[in-house]
Amino acid sequence: MRIAVSRLSPLLACLGLLVAWQLAAMLLHTDSFPTAWQAILTVPDVLGDRESLLNILDSIRRMVIGLTLAMLVSIPLGLMMGRSARVAAFFNPLLMMVYPVPKAALMPVIMLWLGVGDASKTLVIFLGVSLPVIYHSFQGAKAVEEKMLWSGAAMGLSAVQRMFRIVLPAALPEILTGCRTGLVLALITMVTSEMIARQSGAGNILFNAMDMAQYDTVFAMIIIIGALGIVLDAAFDKLRWRLVAWAEPRQDILLGAS
Amino acid sequence: MNARALNNVLLGLAPIVMVLALWQGLCSFGYAPPSLLPPPGKVFVRLAQQLVSWNFLDDMLATLTRLFAGFFIAVALGVGIGLAAAVSGPVNAVVRPLVQVLAPVPKVALYPALLLLLGFDHASKVTLVAADALFPILLSTYYGASMVEQKLIWSALAAGTPRYQILFKVILPAALPSILTGCRIGLVISCIVVFLAEMITSTDGLGHLLVGAARTFQTVDMFVPLITISLLGLILNGLLYSLRKYLLRGFPEV
Repeated sequence: MRIAVSRLSPLLACLGLLVAWQLAAMLLHTDSFPTAWQAILTVPDVLGDRESLLNILDSIRRMVIGLTLAMLVSIPLGLMMGRSARVAAFFNPLLMMVYPVPKAALMPVIMLWLGVGDASKTLVIFLGVSLPVIYHSFQGAKAVEEKMLWSGAAMGLSAVQRMFRIVLPAALPEILTGCRTGLVLALITMVTSEMIARQSGAGNILFNAMDMAQYDTVFAMIIIIGALGIVLDAAFDKLRWRLVAWAEPRQDILLGAS
Repeated sequence: MNARALNNVLLGLAPIVMVLALWQGLCSFGYAPPSLLPPPGKVFVRLAQQLVSWNFLDDMLATLTRLFAGFFIAVALGVGIGLAAAVSGPVNAVVRPLVQVLAPVPKVALYPALLLLLGFDHASKVTLVAADALFPILLSTYYGASMVEQKLIWSALAAGTPRYQILFKVILPAALPSILTGCRIGLVISCIVVFLAEMITSTDGLGHLLVGAARTFQTVDMFVPLITISLLGLILNGLLYSLRKYLLRGFPEV
């Protein structure tokens, strides 16, 4: 019973939000604020339109590529930083400096260098995702129990083997938390960079529709992007749960970062 | 120990110096034309010029106003709702699923809606900043407050503290380290989001300066606002760190 309630409560929350939106729109009653129902009815139109569907799929493809590349680079880097104080001392100040730079704001500069194509958008997503993944891998590797490493060394594991067979699995729950933050960040960076570049993609559709006063489309896109965030996050959480069910349950809602 | 700390500082400066050297090298050996990548010296001279010009300071002030307005709204709401959800079951039952649903939504996607509802002025940007900074603060307040040791509360009750004072005298101070961590994340997020919002639509602010420079291909002027917002982020982060140290004096190392 309790499990059923906890499963249903996010759905109820969605429903509640939509009802609140519906009521607010009916009260305000302006052209620029369609009701939730109108916006939902427009969602199939947006997704049915070949061009906008291709645009959205393109965005998602770039997001997946950027995210994958970022994980491939950041997880090893974070693990090395966590296990070696020197590596950490080397990279930490640089990462601290880079942290408050709005990554999507680099879009105009990177567009100058790499053009408006896929390369610059993927690079921006890569940059946006890297830091939290590095940070969480770092924390995870740092917290590995020394005793396990000593036992591994005593049993004749080389440094590389210890990394793969002890540090990586022990840090996995924390790494996956980082990846979950990274996943949401990838989506945020994707949408923002497309809003700034205004070339193609989901963010562009949003603002184009606004310029053309197609307010139903604007709100339908918001629903699509929001749903994408919720679904991706929930799917990843399921996967994470499968992989590290043995770990102590941690915060089940991510802390997020932009 | 001291020599080692010094060593680490030098080690940490190395990559920053290397990045600057690479930047300078790319420019002076002609790999990057100045129209694409201006030399670092030129950028920093321009930054110094801008920092004493009134127009630039005006834009900076506009950015800072929005940043702080959004951030403080987020702190007030986040700490308030977080504490309420931690101490009250019914509030928790409502807030928890809402946060679960809203936290992974890219808030920036709401920006067009905010523009339509609140107009192109300060209000829409401040709301966006608050919406983005709210969740880390709310969640760390909630986790901090719900992990307060029960023994502390019992001791306070046994010592005669009235129930309604437990919240402010026991739970809030005990959750403070966690709350301040959330505020730090929220502050950096505020910096980033205010800049992005200004880039997307604005008539003033640092983000607007960047977009304006990009439209006229003034590369030097594109780097200046970027560096300024990063420095602002670092400075604000440092200030919050000192505040944290001051507020948490007497706490065991956290």
